[in-house]
Amino acid sequence: MNPPGITVTARSDGDTVLIVIEGEIDLSNADHVEGEITAAISNRTMSAAIDLTAVTYVDSIGMRVLFELATRLETAQIGLKLVAPIGSPARRVIEISGLNAVVDIEPHV
Amino acid sequence: MTDQVPAREATDRLRDIQAVTDAALAHLEVEELLDALLDRVREILRADTAAILLLDERSDFLVATAARGIEEEVVQGVRIPMGLGFAGRIAAQKEAVILDHVDHTTVLNPILRDRGIKSMLGVPLLSAGDVLGVLHVGTLRPRVFTPEDVELLQLVADRVALATQSRISDTDRAAAVALQRSLLPGRLPMVAGVDLAARYVPGEAEGVGGDWYDVFALPSGALCIVMGDVVGRGLRAAVVMGRLRSTLRAYAITNDDPADVLSLVDRKLQYFEPGEMATALVVVYDTNEDRLRISTAGHPAPMVAYPDGSTTMLELSIDPPLGVRTARPRRVTELSLPRGATLCLYTDGLVERRTVPFDDRLDMLREAVKIESPQAVCASVMQRLVGADAPADDIALLVVRVAEHRPGAPWNLAVPAMPASLMPLRTALRRWLQDAGASEAAVIDLLVAAGEAASNAVEHAYGPAGGTVSVSAQLEGDQAVVRVSDSGQWREPRGDHRGRGSLIMQMTTDEVRVERGPEGTEVVLRRRMDQ
Repeated sequence: MNPPGITVTARSDGDTVLIVIEGEIDLSNADHVEGEITAAISNRTMSAAIDLTAVTYVDSIGMRVLFELATRLETAQIGLKLVAPIGSPARRVIEISGLNAVVDIEPHV
Repeated sequence: MTDQVPAREATDRLRDIQAVTDAALAHLEVEELLDALLDRVREILRADTAAILLLDERSDFLVATAARGIEEEVVQGVRIPMGLGFAGRIAAQKEAVILDHVDHTTVLNPILRDRGIKSMLGVPLLSAGDVLGVLHVGTLRPRVFTPEDVELLQLVADRVALATQSRISDTDRAAAVALQRSLLPGRLPMVAGVDLAARYVPGEAEGVGGDWYDVFALPSGALCIVMGDVVGRGLRAAVVMGRLRSTLRAYAITNDDPADVLSLVDRKLQYFEPGEMATALVVVYDTNEDRLRISTAGHPAPMVAYPDGSTTMLELSIDPPLGVRTARPRRVTELSLPRGATLCLYTDGLVERRTVPFDDRLDMLREAVKIESPQAVCASVMQRLVGADAPADDIALLVVRVAEHRPGAPWNLAVPAMPASLMPLRTALRRWLQDAGASEAAVIDLLVAAGEAASNAVEHAYGPAGGTVSVSAQLEGDQAVVRVSDSGQWREPRGDHRGRGSLIMQMTTDEVRVERGPEGTEVVLRRRMDQ
């Protein structure tokens, strides 16, 4: 069950996984989001994309989740791509915190 | 050997009767009265023990309630099943029983057997033909109880029954009042942009009933407003009401569709409390969109006063009450509620009077609900519809007023310092910023900056005892000033993502100031509204 305010759905075609997050990511649900993302990616996954287009709020707690994920996927040699349109709340925070320096960010899926 | 009690004179009997009907006993509290009567009966009948067991109707057990001679019975909470043993037989047959042989076949209570009771006499406590309990006496020496003894003990039993009956109804009434009082919110929640006032008046006939109202913020930031009415009166209705209220709260925090919530509450009621019935109305008010979603289970529709001066009863799809089997899915009516409107919810006790047509009463309510402060609306509704006549049925009334649109007026909100508070806090701040004309980028930036500060307060300001986080916002020139404060002890943030939090606050605002003092910490954020 998703906690209030957040939905995480994952779709996989074997090699690649698309994870769509909708709602607000904060202190109350970051652990849940992290758990859902990790559960959706297996060691057979070649590359993962996380769509943050419908994320209406995210702050440093959400960034911590994404930074840690980026590090772990790099070690596991699994590709990671984030989707966040220009001007979206997620894009703003990703750019301020420098996550765009370690992960590819694209405006749409 | 049998203890022979000499036959006594008529004057002695009269004195004995006097002793147990003595007016001096009248002022005693019930517990003292029972003890005093047991002492006197022990003396008159020269018995070593005397005890009262009262019937617990829910379990059909007799429970030791007062005892003299062998008090352990009460302390140990002795329970005798109806129909079994000495006391159980008296209660089941509603007749006196004399026992001249005490052992495990005749007496269930081991305390009496162990203490060497040899003979016993017991009589039922009767009220209007119903058994309330049992009064019995016992002797350590074998004793033959006479018909006069039985008669005297029955006299005492009648006195005890009378006192107990009034105690049971007093206790029920007091418990129902206490329950009702504990369940109605003493202080209505503080919600930004919404004023609330409420009234509850118990009915004259049987005191409190099953009316209730409830207002709480949902995790999504929407406001949930509930009004309900359990069929029936007194303690039982109040207990069912309490269960419905918490069931509804429990379902509402995971599901903010009012029809789904009522369906789940209904299912729980029919499963665990079959035979109970209630009406209920659930309003989910999205303060960002100014929209109401309402589902009603047989409950009268709210009255709304609009800013244009008109007042109408909302047109709702009304579904069956809770507790009534129905295959049809419950429905939701969606309405928009303009800012400045006043919403009035009530129970039927307010509008139903046997002597006045229902529509006339609704007209009176329509006239009383105006665009005024909720306290004033409550006062004029009660004045108009109740006046000086104590209502027969209980009445609950809740008035909600949506603050008028005054964009940019100073605003503040205090919430418990916990993660679940953050989302409603941001919902309220987002609304304020949008109303005040902030650009899309300014809304995003100030929400993140304030969110970081509030999140930091939730994580670091307080120990496990918790505290409050307050947020205020106002306009200064072309800037918005948002203050996030706590009254806790400053603690250096732990974990490396906190450094990122400070960076985000600086990058999303024109100025960040953190003021730490013995009173707490205040983070002041300034940012231009127009870019």
